[in-house]
Amino acid sequence: MTAMRAGLTSSVVLCVLALSAVATRAQLQVPDFKSNKPTPRMANGKPDLSGYWKGTTDTKPGGNIGKDLPGWKLPLTPAGEAALNHNLTATIDPESLCIIGGIPRHNASGLPFEVLQGNNKIAFLYWYSYFRLIPIDPNRKHSDDPDPSFFGEELGRWEGDTLVIDSIGFKDEKVWIDENANPHSDALHVVERWTRPDGDHIHVETLIEDPKFYTRPFTYSRTWVLGKPDEEIMEYACSENNVDAAHLGFGPGPIRPDGTRGYIDPAPLPPPLPRK
Amino acid sequence: MKKIFLLLVVAVATAGGARLVAHHSFAAEFDASKAIRVTGTLSKVEWTNPHIYFYLDAKDEQGNAVKWTCESGAPGALSRRGFKRGDLKLGDTIVVDGYRAKNGSNLMDARRVTLADGRIVSGASAGDGGPQ
Repeated sequence: MTAMRAGLTSSVVLCVLALSAVATRAQLQVPDFKSNKPTPRMANGKPDLSGYWKGTTDTKPGGNIGKDLPGWKLPLTPAGEAALNHNLTATIDPESLCIIGGIPRHNASGLPFEVLQGNNKIAFLYWYSYFRLIPIDPNRKHSDDPDPSFFGEELGRWEGDTLVIDSIGFKDEKVWIDENANPHSDALHVVERWTRPDGDHIHVETLIEDPKFYTRPFTYSRTWVLGKPDEEIMEYACSENNVDAAHLGFGPGPIRPDGTRGYIDPAPLPPPLPRK
Repeated sequence: MKKIFLLLVVAVATAGGARLVAHHSFAAEFDASKAIRVTGTLSKVEWTNPHIYFYLDAKDEQGNAVKWTCESGAPGALSRRGFKRGDLKLGDTIVVDGYRAKNGSNLMDARRVTLADGRIVSGASAGDGGPQ
């Protein structure tokens, strides 16, 4: 009888922990769903992309910029292969050292983000307290020699109900193009096409070109769903107490066959203690 | 006096769930084959970004005093799931289940924390690709 009670207690504890793990994931990603809410619009008639946006649980493999390619195989040039090998064996994840992830990496992240849209500018706000502020002006042209940056020189324009963000001028050091340590060079050119097909979804179609590291352009698409009204980006001072920086190894660690980071066969934790 | 112990667990393999990225990959810092349980007394708490840290005075299997640094998620993520700064009180004896750092230091990823009142909270970093 005592053994039965202990078993029951352990089962309850395990269920609570499982639900806790699900709840933890739900803070970041949520299941997708159909929406009949209309696309909200600005006074100028353009879609309003503003909102707190969370990834969907069917976005797989997460964090991998090759998500939409067969076998997640990126078309790396020999220089790109060498850069990937360098990232895996000689670099610590720049984001873990509190360096801006940049674009397109932030679009492949599992973390939610927030958009605030005005008539002539749009702001993307990210965890880590990073942001990008993009002018919406069809008449602006790229600079001849833009200062390299993590988000690049970004120009926004409307094509119908699609917000197009065209970016060049990226850095070529201390950058990973995604969570898996894939590389990009300073020749990176990113074209994001953002839409809000209904009130609850935001979607991006991304064209990625980098002739130094990739033999051909490739695409990355993704949909996010609207968070709850009280959810918003919170303060996250990455460099406040980055104790783990001294303990991190090179690269992201093992990549699983499903294209995600992490171990295939982690050891289980000790069994939970019975509740008092 | 409460019994203080450190238990190294050699474990059977299980499949871990895929999660998306956080501040850094679990696998870049921790060894998923080295699951451990540490019971100790809270000596210091840093409720900071990008991770919270709390420090335990514990004893190893030979009874020698040993200090452990326990890393959990970011304050915002933890508090949203109900793990609050006030749950960690200096002098409390708590039980931490997690994984050792790959570099062999006394740093661990505190994925499950049993508080002094018996409540169990998840300390996992949100979306780090670590074991569920």
